Amino acid sequence: MVTLETILSHTADHLVLVLMTLIISICISMPLAFGSLYNKRFGYVVTKFANLAQAVPSFAVVAIVVPLMGIGFYPAVVAILLRALLPIIKNTYIGLSTVDPSMLDYADGIGLNEWQILRYVRLPNAYPAIFAGIKFAFILINSIAILTAYIGSGGLGELIFQGLVAFNNEKILAGAIPAILIAIAFDIIFTRIEKKLTPHYRK
Amino acid sequence: MASKRLFDRIDSIQLRGVTKKYDDRFAINDVSIDIEGGELVIFIGPSGSGKTTTLRMINRLIEPDSGTILINDQNIMELEPVALRRNIGYVIQSIGLFPHMTIAENIGLVAKLEGWNEKKIKDRVEYLLDFVSLPSDMFMDRYPHQLSGGQQQRVGLARALVMDPPLLLMDEPFGALDPILRKQLQEEFYQIREKLGKTIIFVTHDIEEAFKLGDRIAIMDDAKLVQIGTAEELIFHPANEMVASIVDTSKKFKHLDTLKIKDLISPLECMYVHDGSLDIESAISSMIGKNIEIAVVSNGSFPLGIVKLIDLLRMDDKESKIIDHVVKIPSFSRNKLLSSSLKIMQKDGHSMAFVMTDGKLSGFLFPNDAFSQVIG
Amino acid sequence: MDKEHKGVDSLLLSDLVEVWETNSLTLRTIEHLTMFSIAIVLASIIGIFLGLFLYSRPKIAHPTLNLLNLVETIPDIPLLVLLLPIFGLGSGPTIVASVLYSLLPITRNTYTGLKEVDLKYVDIARAMGLSEKDILFKVRIPLSLPMIVGGLRIALVFTMGVVTLGGLIAAGGLGAALIAGIQLYKINTILVAGLWTGLLAVIFDGLAGIVEKRLQRRYGIW
Ligand SMILES: Nc1ncnc2c1ncn2[C@@H]1O[C@H](COP(=O)(O)OP(=O)(O)OP(=O)(O)O)[C@@H](O)[C@H]1O
Ligand SMILES: [Mg+2]
Repeated sequence: MVTLETILSHTADHLVLVLMTLIISICISMPLAFGSLYNKRFGYVVTKFANLAQAVPSFAVVAIVVPLMGIGFYPAVVAILLRALLPIIKNTYIGLSTVDPSMLDYADGIGLNEWQILRYVRLPNAYPAIFAGIKFAFILINSIAILTAYIGSGGLGELIFQGLVAFNNEKILAGAIPAILIAIAFDIIFTRIEKKLTPHYRK
Repeated sequence: MASKRLFDRIDSIQLRGVTKKYDDRFAINDVSIDIEGGELVIFIGPSGSGKTTTLRMINRLIEPDSGTILINDQNIMELEPVALRRNIGYVIQSIGLFPHMTIAENIGLVAKLEGWNEKKIKDRVEYLLDFVSLPSDMFMDRYPHQLSGGQQQRVGLARALVMDPPLLLMDEPFGALDPILRKQLQEEFYQIREKLGKTIIFVTHDIEEAFKLGDRIAIMDDAKLVQIGTAEELIFHPANEMVASIVDTSKKFKHLDTLKIKDLISPLECMYVHDGSLDIESAISSMIGKNIEIAVVSNGSFPLGIVKLIDLLRMDDKESKIIDHVVKIPSFSRNKLLSSSLKIMQKDGHSMAFVMTDGKLSGFLFPNDAFSQVIG
Repeated sequence: MDKEHKGVDSLLLSDLVEVWETNSLTLRTIEHLTMFSIAIVLASIIGIFLGLFLYSRPKIAHPTLNLLNLVETIPDIPLLVLLLPIFGLGSGPTIVASVLYSLLPITRNTYTGLKEVDLKYVDIARAMGLSEKDILFKVRIPLSLPMIVGGLRIALVFTMGVVTLGGLIAAGGLGAALIAGIQLYKINTILVAGLWTGLLAVIFDGLAGIVEKRLQRRYGIW
């Protein structure tokens, strides 16, 4: 028997790990993305590297952290960050840098300074892309946070793995179903916000 | 598989009270025309007057709301659309060569669908490429994006001719080309038209083109056919003001007397100039590389005349020097009066001349081009 | 073996060969790529047909794509374990999960590719006397190929990820080697298997990328 209490405490652990890594990813990614804007080489390298890293299976990333940092909560956080940072940086950078040049010319023409251009032209233009990056990162993090239970992060994954070892279906479901519900709930919320942010993109 | 050959030749095309509406607006309003076999009829008129709509009804890309269209007295609504279209060639301004197929595959596509064998298709493709003055060994295996606009438009024509259709529909085929190239292609088309021996319906915005190519000219305005007739009929008996303003060039030429050559010069670009000592082989590849149809042959600094790419391609002795094949053309000082220069050119049948500034070549004069500039 | 605890520096060629052999990585790689290939072939066949089908039934296209989108949001390990009761342990659920994830990019790209072909080509094809079937097979499908390959490339990445996770439910493959490494805390095993898994994925992605670029260039898109 899996008690409700067990499920709730594991869900809470999972959510802490997910939200914490999501917020850290955003905090690290944004300055890097804005920095890339003023250093084209860096931007180029990040985009290329993000594309390459995207192809590497999450399990390989999680495993490789073990020899470097051992197991536990913090190695799990690092493993997740390794996967989640690049998509956000890349999307933000692309959003900020692909602005209609005529719009930039116009902004220049009416005498906006670099900061104002960023604030009033580039940023609003980049919202949809930034948001898509964050949504993507969330889906990724929610998945890996289950896997990282394998290297001792705790959370819902722990229930699943315990269930797998003991052939205990109840435990497996107790871990899997909340994780799925979280994913779907966040997807719905994100989609709502996304639509609010980009009214002019809807037909 | 093979579709029926619906007609080997066109005896007549008749539009009877053809009407097409989009919502409440007429695209075509009660249009009736009789076209004879072998004729080249030009449709001209303001934008949105219904030229394209009329053309596209003949191959059933658009179906009329009312009225009938007869080809050789057969109602086209009783013919199978796919078979009908394989008997009618269609060339459009945007060309629409398929980007995923080579030139040969583009031209041979319908022949392949008709079940022709490889050999027969290849022979046909080679023949057609030659017909539109593109060396087949050079172009067969290229992809459309590797061709210039003019070359693509030639392939577009070749593709339309693959099933040897007795009827050709051409919707502003030269409309997107730059003036020099357009002039060249018009000229070539004019010459191959006889060989083609087809009935052609041709839409244009260019009255010069209409006068040059058309047997009869149909003037459309506001979804109606306003008048159809030969150039003389339209000029001397225009049905209304609007026709007169389209065809009546004389009024506009009033101020021609005062124009000088320098007002209408097409400036020289140095890529046109080729040294006389060049052999034909290298001249051809240079001209194809630069996508030009005409080259100026010079000896050092002085222009001797011109050579045309199509003429060079036809030469047997590719080793010989281009200086031996120069066609002389008149040359005028840039301050000479346009009217007298044009008269000289007309008398000797030249379609272009050199313009000289201080004894040096500085540009060209194309009478047709000059006309369009004056009219436009 | 204490040799394995010396850390990253001591990973020499001889160690590499030893790690490779004790973990039978050749076999693991074959298992890995077998699951991968089966999943990709199945996903391509189903995805492309589904895309074609949706193209012919535009009414149900949106609901279907939304459903596939929902599948996409389900985290990978929960999806895998939910399939266990139906397909048992091993490669079965791994392949099914890979296919489920791959369907969205392949189906969506096929559908959009077909739908968004430049109408000027469809128009001229019709004018040349191509039947609707010929237009689909000679014009629409070939012209959407770069887009379809783009979808396939995304599917390749998803599939590599899921197949690696298959190790967790006894499907073998390189994931099994990673698990052995983590459970026995053999650093060399983790490093070799981890890097090799990553490298393999990057290589396949790179190859797909080359095909994609080729097609785009050939079609004159760039
Ligand atoms: N599919 C369509 N839906 C609605 N209106 C149309 C459609 N096709 C054509 N029209 C309208 O029908 C009229 C005739 O169009 P058509 O294309 O025949 O003109 P056109 O003489 O060829 O013009 P242009 O010289 O610009 O090519 C125009 O007013 C056009 O807007
Ligand atoms: Mg038109």
